[in-house]
Amino acid sequence: MAQIFPRWTNKIPLAVGVTAPVVLVSVVFAIWYWFSPKFTDVGYQPEQPVPFSHKLHAGSLGLDCRYCHNTVEQAAAAALPPAGTCMNCHANLNLGDHENRIKPIKDAFAGGPPVEWIRVHMLPDYAYFNHSVHLAAGVGCSSCHGRIDQMETVFQDQPLSMSWCLDCHRDPEPNLRPRDQITNMAWGPEDAAAYDPNTDPTRTRAVAPPEHCSGCHR
Amino acid sequence: MTAQRSNTLVVAVGLLATLALSAGCRGNKSKDPPIHPNWNMDDQQYFQAQEDNDWFPDHRAQRPLVAGTVARGLLKADDHLYRGRGADGRLVDTLPPSITLDEALLDRGERRYAIYCAPCHEQNGRGNGIIAQPGSVATGLLVKPPSYMDPRLQAMPLGYFFDVISNGKATMRPYAAQIPVEDRWAIAAWVRVLQVSERAAKADIPPAELGKLNSGGAQ
Repeated sequence: MAQIFPRWTNKIPLAVGVTAPVVLVSVVFAIWYWFSPKFTDVGYQPEQPVPFSHKLHAGSLGLDCRYCHNTVEQAAAAALPPAGTCMNCHANLNLGDHENRIKPIKDAFAGGPPVEWIRVHMLPDYAYFNHSVHLAAGVGCSSCHGRIDQMETVFQDQPLSMSWCLDCHRDPEPNLRPRDQITNMAWGPEDAAAYDPNTDPTRTRAVAPPEHCSGCHR
Repeated sequence: MTAQRSNTLVVAVGLLATLALSAGCRGNKSKDPPIHPNWNMDDQQYFQAQEDNDWFPDHRAQRPLVAGTVARGLLKADDHLYRGRGADGRLVDTLPPSITLDEALLDRGERRYAIYCAPCHEQNGRGNGIIAQPGSVATGLLVKPPSYMDPRLQAMPLGYFFDVISNGKATMRPYAAQIPVEDRWAIAAWVRVLQVSERAAKADIPPAELGKLNSGGAQ
């Protein structure tokens, strides 16, 4: 008499009990690890049309971030400076052999096409981020952008993912500084440990970042 | 061990090795734009500040102002506040009525001066800031900024400094677009502070403060 179950059915328990969980866990791991902005976005370092060095301008020369990104304290966007801001200094100095590097800026200043800088930090369009409120609360530039003053070419330093935003919104204190230190690139963990925003007399109200959806998604 | 089984083993080990290696790519620098496996609505059909729009020949989504128009709220009719000039058209030597001279204004002026002016004019106003000096690449400013301590500038009215900040002068470019008008007045006031600190005599110090100075306890 023939058997009801063919011989291959002996493998069903193995497939259900071992192979299926392994495949499932692998898929979950792959999405968790490789789909994360920590993997897809961090380290994005596009080549810009002009090899502008933040390491030189913000690092060696010590220019304040707000000299160029001057809208950052009043507006949602930290604007890229117009060519005129570059020419404040570059119209009155000479780079010698390197002068041709800033030719696109000089052309734009003379009325030519604008310099098409490539955006590095790209939040999704459904997240409404506002620079000015973060600065008013005392979150420093380097908390989200990293040590820009050490970057020859700017790259994305932090994942800018939703969980990363929420980590700070749920517990902002470790990332708060005195508001006259926001552009201090060298502000480190030991400075943060020594600073207590609750006893800072220049702060008139407690920082209360929103954790509800419409705080960022409008 | 059969040939088939050893093949499976090779494939499995190869797959694991690939995964382990690519797991180490986290945070690697890349010139290529991020690949998002699920774009959802990351890029929507509206334009953010300074985004590009290929519909226009210059690719700017933000359009320049039409010539001869003024945006709402930006008329700037107040000559004293926006131009530093009085009713007679001459440069004023006072702050506009809407701005009061107090410690907060001077603090603001000092901080804004440090951001926008000190790179060339130097923190103390003597005109030898870091941009003015020759560097490893750049020549330094070809025309050096003057010192505010110069008698010619010591004699200038407050409105002069506001006017130069706003409209530029000789090789200095205008800063009206870069610095809000109240901050320009605060900086002008701070420039005056730098000048006064240079020419101040002992008789100018209030008696109470003079006592501190004499006792060596001045902060």
